[in-house]
Amino acid sequence: MQNKTFRNLFMLPYALWIIIFVIAPILLVVYFSFFDINGNFSLTNYKNFFTATYLQMTLNSFWYAFLITVISLLIAYPTAYILTRTKHKQLWLLLIIVPSWINLLLKAYAFIGIFGTHGAANRFLEWAGIGSRQLLFTDFSFVFVAVYIFIPFMILPIFNALDKLNPSLLYAASDLGASKWTTFRRVIFPLTLDGVKSGCQVVFIPALSLFMLTRLIAGNRVITLGTAIEQQFLVTQNWGMGATIAVFLIIIMVGFMALTSIRRRGV
Amino acid sequence: MAKKPIIQFNHVMKQFDDDAPVLDHVSFEIEKGKFYTLLGPSGCGKTTILRLIAGFTEATSGDILFEGKKINHVPANKRPINTVFQDYALFPHLNVYENVAFGLRIKKVKKADMDAKVKEALSFVNLKGYENREITDMSGGQKQRVAIARAIVNEPAIILLDEPLSALDLKLRYQMQYELRELQRRLGITFIFVTHDQEEALAMSDEIFVLNKGKIQQSGTPNDIYDEPINRFVADFIGESNIIRATMIQDFLVEFAGKQFECVDQGMDPNEAVEIVIRPEDMEITSVEQGSIRVTVQAQLFRGVHYEITCMDDTGNEWLVQSTKKATIGEEIGLRFTPEDIHVMRLNESEEDFDRRLDAYSEDENDAK
Repeated sequence: MQNKTFRNLFMLPYALWIIIFVIAPILLVVYFSFFDINGNFSLTNYKNFFTATYLQMTLNSFWYAFLITVISLLIAYPTAYILTRTKHKQLWLLLIIVPSWINLLLKAYAFIGIFGTHGAANRFLEWAGIGSRQLLFTDFSFVFVAVYIFIPFMILPIFNALDKLNPSLLYAASDLGASKWTTFRRVIFPLTLDGVKSGCQVVFIPALSLFMLTRLIAGNRVITLGTAIEQQFLVTQNWGMGATIAVFLIIIMVGFMALTSIRRRGV
Repeated sequence: MAKKPIIQFNHVMKQFDDDAPVLDHVSFEIEKGKFYTLLGPSGCGKTTILRLIAGFTEATSGDILFEGKKINHVPANKRPINTVFQDYALFPHLNVYENVAFGLRIKKVKKADMDAKVKEALSFVNLKGYENREITDMSGGQKQRVAIARAIVNEPAIILLDEPLSALDLKLRYQMQYELRELQRRLGITFIFVTHDQEEALAMSDEIFVLNKGKIQQSGTPNDIYDEPINRFVADFIGESNIIRATMIQDFLVEFAGKQFECVDQGMDPNEAVEIVIRPEDMEITSVEQGSIRVTVQAQLFRGVHYEITCMDDTGNEWLVQSTKKATIGEEIGLRFTPEDIHVMRLNESEEDFDRRLDAYSEDENDAK
């Protein structure tokens, strides 16, 4: 009994942290979402959300987050695989992780320079004989930069999953007649699926609410839910609508978490 | 005439970088349908031989033949050989059925056939009805059986077993020794078993290869190897031994511990320095007068089945004796053994020379008759 009260005492700081920084803000967001722009209690925000503009925006957010996640995964998986096979794998991993320590804003500005009309990218295109073109403020540059920023977070969990894989399982598969591809399909991929899932979570969820990049790199051509929230709070000053969008964003995120967290048997 | 070998190694070398070779010009033949054991201490190259046969690694030089055809560069998935791994290497994301069916699915066996084969393989290893169990819910011994079922279901020409019993507790290990041996007899598949446990090797094998430092020291039936060890290493590694420096005075006469003894070995040079082996269980404790040699009891341990008694003779040789009779420490006793109990080993004799010498005197015996 003594032990139990003691344990509860230790839990207190964590409980307080969760209440103050997680539960209270969510409750506040939900609370604000029920007030219209004039401060009256109403459901107009929710009604407005189900109009074409916002649904289109939700769809947009989904589409870009999906694109960013899939491209990150396609690049990260083979990279992580090759990394586990290199001699100094921890060093290579570190080199890939290091850029993620640099401030996001700095990286975004760096890309403005690279993709600008007279930037390095265009100079290369001219040199290659393709000729310069508009790179900044396009879907391409937006997805490119987002993938660049998120990729270390995708590589890390996949690398860990691959690194943990018992090599004798691969021998066993080959021993039982599996080609390299079959081994990948039947053994390696299923056993690293958890890494893939957590990678997708840490990329998809922030990608859903990206807002700074949409402005700096995509020049507000791409409007996602994140941009919308920012605009509602800072520009339109319609906190109620901003909060409503945030509520839906939270619901989508929880849904995505639940979907990717279903544990498979035996793993 | 011997049957055509199913696996043949011709001067196989395996070397990593500039290190000492893991396998040093190893040559041997394996016949179909027998139970072979590769026995040796860790690092002797036994697992490397297994990996070469399985196709997980390639030889630095030399040829590996399967039914007379060179298979050095055939990948593991194209060889009709299956392995039971030391850590079982079962697929944790698949249940028992899917683990066993893994090889069949790759061969695209029809569903009905597959069901029947998986069922049969599981009943072979006494795991009927476990099809839908998860691997994580199985005990070590059960996992071991699944691993064996997963190998035999493919009906391979050879099954390789890499210390498969080392993770099991003693009782289960004994039981599995019987079961594996029985399974091999029923299936008639060639088994190649790797172990560092000499008891296991003696109990299960038709033929044993004793390895040390990348070389085959001796090959033969368990009886041959136990009774006629070729050198100090084999004598010491297989069972308990008293190995004593000796001099071969002439054929059938050897001198050690300051006395001359009649023996059954011959073919050495006169007065050649040799070593003799006497197994601790071959000696009998008697009175000083009746004994072949006189020793003083130094220490005694009760081992359950017998007492293990350490003695010292007058010339300073240590003798280990196993006896059901108890001795008293400090007492002088006699140890009795017969000429057949003494086994003489030449120093640095190769296996070929050893076999030739043995053949030579069996011919002599035939001539005499």
